[in-house]
Amino acid sequence: MILRLDIVLLVFLILIALVVVKTKDLLAAALVFSGYSLVMCIVWQQLGAPDIAMTEAAIGAGVTTVLFIIAISKTFRREE
Amino acid sequence: MNIFLKLYLNFNYTVSMILFLIGLYTIISKSNLIKKLIGLNIMETSVFLFFISIGAVKGGRAPILEGTASQVQYVNPLPQALILTGIVVAVSTTALALSLIIKIYEHCGTIEAEKLKEMEEGR
Amino acid sequence: MKNKIFNQAIIITGLLAFALLSLSAVAEMPRFGDPNNPPNLHVVDRYLEKGEEEAGCKNVVTDIILNYRGYDTMGEVTVIFTALCAALAILKRENFYTSFSLLDTSPNKTSIVVRTIIALMFPLIFLFGLYVILHGEDTPGGGFQGGTVIAASLILFILVFGFRYTLNKLSPKFREFFESMAPLSFFLVGSLSLIIGLEFLSYMLPIFSEGYRLEVARLLLSFIEIGIGVGGAAIFTSLFFSMQREEK
Repeated sequence: MILRLDIVLLVFLILIALVVVKTKDLLAAALVFSGYSLVMCIVWQQLGAPDIAMTEAAIGAGVTTVLFIIAISKTFRREE
Repeated sequence: MNIFLKLYLNFNYTVSMILFLIGLYTIISKSNLIKKLIGLNIMETSVFLFFISIGAVKGGRAPILEGTASQVQYVNPLPQALILTGIVVAVSTTALALSLIIKIYEHCGTIEAEKLKEMEEGR
Repeated sequence: MKNKIFNQAIIITGLLAFALLSLSAVAEMPRFGDPNNPPNLHVVDRYLEKGEEEAGCKNVVTDIILNYRGYDTMGEVTVIFTALCAALAILKRENFYTSFSLLDTSPNKTSIVVRTIIALMFPLIFLFGLYVILHGEDTPGGGFQGGTVIAASLILFILVFGFRYTLNKLSPKFREFFESMAPLSFFLVGSLSLIIGLEFLSYMLPIFSEGYRLEVARLLLSFIEIGIGVGGAAIFTSLFFSMQREEK
């Protein structure tokens, strides 16, 4: 059985989403969400969309993660 | 068993639906506002995955014209143009929601949805 | 406590029902990757064949978002400008004289290794962002992609070197000019063709002779792309400054 790259990436995406939902430390959730954005960027490249891959990499890892970390630093770090 | 084979052949659409449901569960059942916002982002990226997988072609190349007259197969560029707009709208929604969360914390002292409901009922 | 378990059970039952419906619908969709799918049949052949001679770019996606579906992109830049206006109405804009951040007042500065490397890398990342904006017509890239790369490099610089140091160089008055350039460039190019007599946002102006019309269309497209790129970068940087500030 040959491991195809896109199937492995998509299964990895589901596992990362489950980790983000389950954890109670909000800083860990924001950083793992940045990793989710990175795997999504590779999936776009495999589907033949280089413009979307560049946009997702710059926005997901550059802008959204930083804004989340600023909001967490001004409020609580742990849930509940 | 036939339905599992069909779900495996359309694997991108299946994963997109599962991610949508994970995001929806996060929004409904978690009570922290930042967790809800992360769930909203997961739902949005799952819709983008669904949309671009519609336009994928097996053996296709990225839609940059080469200039030759040969018959080379290109991936469908039209869903990609629509999703670029979608990504921009998603990031502006996230930025606005985060600034609202900062103001709610300054004003009320908490960002749990259940405690905010109790504060509003007690007022 | 019992109420909570009951709530969770209802939520999970509802989501399982939704999952059953949607997964059975997904299994009946047309095969993934088929060239004869319904979305691949109707207008895409015309975009791929005549894209270069009607709109002037080799990158078909840039063609589509700025020429064939230009109104959607105009709406998108209006959306992100409105989001900036709303976020600045909620958290006021930072004050040039009294705002600071927690890094400025703490006794530990950023380490010398990080500062040296970022000082060397920041001009190169900025240059790469400009390259992605200007070459958006023939290679993958475009206006918004380069704009976010520039914004990411500016945010990196601000995080390492401190809030007050950068606020002297990128003052609010300096950024106000660039924030509105994204919708403004769209409206300027559209009104130009409206004044001449054609419809709004048509790039082939009949003033110029036949051989030069495509070059002028490419030039107008580049102008709009630079506007979107610089506008996007200024908007993200302003959001970052407003959210991070503390007041005396």
